Amino acid sequence: MKFFVSSFLPDAPASRAPRAGDLRGVTSGLRRRLLILLIAPLTVLAVINAWIEYRSADNVAAEQDQRLLSLVPLVADSVIGQSGERPLLMLAPPLEEFLKERSGSAAYAILDVDGKVLHGESWLQGLPPPDSTPETHSEEHEGATWRIVRQRQLTVLGEIVVAVADSSDPRQQWARSIFLRVLLPNLVLIAAAAFAVRWAVQRALKPLLSLKEAVERRSPRDLSAIDGAASPEEVRPLVDSLNRLFRMVDAQTESQRRFVADAAHQLRTPIAGLQAQVEAWAQAAGAAPREGSLALPTEQLYKLRSATRRTSQLANQLLALSRADARAIHATPEQRIDLKSLCEDALESHLDAATARGIDLGLDAVCVQVMGHEWLLRELLSNLVDNAVKYSDEGGTVTIRCGRRGSAPFLEVEDDGPGVAAAERPRILERFYRVQGTQGEGNGLGLAIAEEIARVHGSHLQLQAGAAGRGLKVTLSFTG
Amino acid sequence: MRLLLVEDDVMVASGIKLGLSNAGYAVDWVGSGERAEEVLRTEVFDAAIIDIGLPNMDGLELTRRIRRPEMASQHTPVLILTARDALQDRVQGLDLGADDYMIKPFELPELLARLRALLRRSQAATSAVLSFGPIELDTANRRASAQRNGQAVPIELGPREWTVMEYLLINAPKPASKDKLLQALTGWDKEITPNAVEVYISRLRGKLEPYGVALRSIRGFGYRLELRASDGE
Repeated sequence: MKFFVSSFLPDAPASRAPRAGDLRGVTSGLRRRLLILLIAPLTVLAVINAWIEYRSADNVAAEQDQRLLSLVPLVADSVIGQSGERPLLMLAPPLEEFLKERSGSAAYAILDVDGKVLHGESWLQGLPPPDSTPETHSEEHEGATWRIVRQRQLTVLGEIVVAVADSSDPRQQWARSIFLRVLLPNLVLIAAAAFAVRWAVQRALKPLLSLKEAVERRSPRDLSAIDGAASPEEVRPLVDSLNRLFRMVDAQTESQRRFVADAAHQLRTPIAGLQAQVEAWAQAAGAAPREGSLALPTEQLYKLRSATRRTSQLANQLLALSRADARAIHATPEQRIDLKSLCEDALESHLDAATARGIDLGLDAVCVQVMGHEWLLRELLSNLVDNAVKYSDEGGTVTIRCGRRGSAPFLEVEDDGPGVAAAERPRILERFYRVQGTQGEGNGLGLAIAEEIARVHGSHLQLQAGAAGRGLKVTLSFTG
Repeated sequence: MRLLLVEDDVMVASGIKLGLSNAGYAVDWVGSGERAEEVLRTEVFDAAIIDIGLPNMDGLELTRRIRRPEMASQHTPVLILTARDALQDRVQGLDLGADDYMIKPFELPELLARLRALLRRSQAATSAVLSFGPIELDTANRRASAQRNGQAVPIELGPREWTVMEYLLINAPKPASKDKLLQALTGWDKEITPNAVEVYISRLRGKLEPYGVALRSIRGFGYRLELRASDGE
């Protein structure tokens, strides 16, 4: 005989632990959006700022040209005579000051109209402008960019060309200043904004996240309302909608449960009648058929009886399941229950079934008391023992146990039957689940009911292989 | 044996009646509590099987009324039939004077077994002879015997063996717990140990064996009288 029946836990997937990734997803999404919304205008502002700076740098460059241009006549005026080929100069004070001020980055030269240098920096030679309008251009020299102005001037020596150059390029300074004055503050601002957004989002979303955690933490069965008072005003409508949804789901679950209970209850009366009849026939099977009666083969009558028994068990278990599920159970007070006498009763009521299959049904019970619902625990134990006896091999061993492990009282039923593969164990707690290849009369509800009852007692069933890795051991540990 | 069946559902009632008749009981069937009360007032039954869910006067009320002194069946053992989801009723029923309960729907062999146990207990309370299979214990004369080939063969039992045997027979076919046996024996010996129980059990085994009665150990619990040759369902 192969193993096993039963059980349920329809909401197993829903009771998974909350996924931390989801939580992060919410904040990072908002944070990203806020960052983009804040940083985009900041960047636009920075660009505008840079553009204004760029314009002002243009002005600076124009000023530089203007200044160089104003120096040209001063150079021309400084020519006071000629000594040989070279002109004789007496530098005008503003010119002298200019050269002194920027020694190394300022230069001048006096050229003849052919562009030959008569005085000053020889590298400033070059074709003079064609007429008296000044000519301005930039030129690379010794790794620096020079701004050079050339203009024809009339001096005591006749027409010459004056070249004045300045390598203190304001455009380069501008590049530096634009970094210091525009980009750096903007970068600092953006970085500060990013930090501020991060902090603000975390602060602002905290109530929302704790609400989310509260929703995720609750068991699928807990459909009570969330306390809206603890949430900020903006979140309260969300809490209200959630609570409304909870109420609706709760009402629906409850009406569905009641429907199952009513249906099972209604079914039992005709089934009881059917069973009473079939049981009587099966009992009389084999006896000489009486007048006016239909003789049925004994084999068929036994099959009929077995089917009827299964049907009635199913109706009973459906009812038990829906009763255990009822919210009303949680409302009724728990009583002090002696687990040992519960185990003894279970042994007594299953002894005949076990004996019929040659199974050694035994007890390993220590006196221990728990708070709980007696008829539910009786039902739980009965289902566990029933399963163990039904699915163990003939001549096997089933042990009902109770006692304490550490400080926790426990109830346990162990068999040495074919057991259930580890991978399949969680599934046997699902409603109507039956192990592949299982024979026998199970309907797949026994363990589901037991699990439901365990849940009512704030615990759940633990499934393990029995001693020596054989069979199945189902344990209910009570908390505290 | 004459039984009264109080059940309003015709299908259930006729099924049970048929099953009980097949098992050799004489069954009177009534469909209401009021009618049952009338019958029980004047007639004596060996046992009554009462459904809790009767119209008007329910089974619990009927059970309460049966125990009144003016009822002829005042001491009739009562087996109540109840729905599984009404276990509260069961407790109440037992408080009101029912002797056992069964959850509907039920299997006939179990009903028969419960009924046998009920009748046995009721007999034990009223008659002096306890029996199990071929074994008989005449408590009035403190004589134990076994039926073999139509003859009563006496069985010699020591006083402590007698106590153990008596307790086992009262409980049969249910198992008797070792703790309870120990308690029963402390009347003889305050210092009795669990090992001593085992000694008496093993002696009894030897004495019962020849008559096809086994004393089976129920691991971790106690002992049960069983007939060696399976008597079917």
